Amino acid sequence: MALVLVQTVLLTVLTVLVAGLLRAHGTVLRRLHQLDGGAPVDEGTPAFALGPTARPDPRAEADLPAYDVSGETPDGAVVTARLVDVDHDTLLLFLSSGCETCQPFWDDLAAPPPLPARTRLLVVAQSFDAESPAELARLAAPDVDVVLSSDAWRDYRVPGSPHMVLVDGSTGRVRGEGTGQSLRQVLRLLVRSTGDSGLVASDSGGRSDHDAQQEAVADHALLAAGILPGDPRLYGEDA
Amino acid sequence: MSAIAAYGLRVDLPRAWEGRLFRRARPLRAADHPEAYGHPDGSVNPVLHLGNFALPPGRGDYGTGAVERMGAAHVFLSLVEFDREEADRPLFSAQEVPRLDVADFDPRSLQRHIPGQLGCQRFFTENGRAFCLYIVLGSRRHAAALVAQADTVLAGLEVAAQ
Repeated sequence: MALVLVQTVLLTVLTVLVAGLLRAHGTVLRRLHQLDGGAPVDEGTPAFALGPTARPDPRAEADLPAYDVSGETPDGAVVTARLVDVDHDTLLLFLSSGCETCQPFWDDLAAPPPLPARTRLLVVAQSFDAESPAELARLAAPDVDVVLSSDAWRDYRVPGSPHMVLVDGSTGRVRGEGTGQSLRQVLRLLVRSTGDSGLVASDSGGRSDHDAQQEAVADHALLAAGILPGDPRLYGEDA
Repeated sequence: MSAIAAYGLRVDLPRAWEGRLFRRARPLRAADHPEAYGHPDGSVNPVLHLGNFALPPGRGDYGTGAVERMGAAHVFLSLVEFDREEADRPLFSAQEVPRLDVADFDPRSLQRHIPGQLGCQRFFTENGRAFCLYIVLGSRRHAAALVAQADTVLAGLEVAAQ
């Protein structure tokens, strides 16, 4: 009788273990599929979920608090960057020097695409003990703000790189977060989600109000379709 | 309240203020950044940059590259340390961190003239260390409030003897 009881308990424990392993395996496969450039498994959910038309990221739904970022630059400057209670928003780009899927982001940063109005881009890598400052300095263009801060990775509970977090400076909350295949793709989703026309605003000096209004309407329509300045489709080429 | 500290300097940062504290490995050159040509012999001593706005990368010692992005309600502060032997010169004869008054600010004191902005430059010695303090206000309209903010920041500046 005791033997049967022990065998039953063992069988139950093994069943739980196998179920857990299978679930973890499924998560890894799904993540690899996404990193490989495959279509999102959860159809309809953009990699960077934001705004009422997108299905919100469960963590975004939680309306998480944001934090200021303190750390060092690759060349040793001490940095305290304000993200909370400020008049600008911040797009945090969590990258690593050794991660292959981060490379398209580093490539995009060599000639950073325009950001939405009043938005700062801050690249955050892990601290010196987990990163190669020399490699970061090589990867990052000189006009890109890079901060090494493992504390920021912990504060924002970054699951891995690349990872983006958009912080609303006025509310001090996280507006959205997620991953993507490139910075340009993320910004396109960002613009589409927010309908931000500030990317091309304040460019109408010297022209008539009518011209400026017409241009603003056209720009807004293009932005709503996810077409940014420099998009090849503006010049009759395929995207 | 956040603080920024290194190289024997420490300052508390009020709400919305952020900072960068660094020592260049070599003097800044124009080629480092298209807008950062502020000082041809950029300091290799500590440089502290503070502001109540998002400080961009690639700034010159006296804020070139940052002051162009300031709004009317913004203030930029640069504290540049000079070599120790400079502390004996008359230029640095003022002792202690200066306190600010709106009357000290003038557009003619700007290192880089930008319409609407006001500047102020002070040289002083604290604990045997020679400094140049340079402050830019975004506008005359907000001058009183901005000077009050900057003065509060300076009141909390600590300079250790080295």
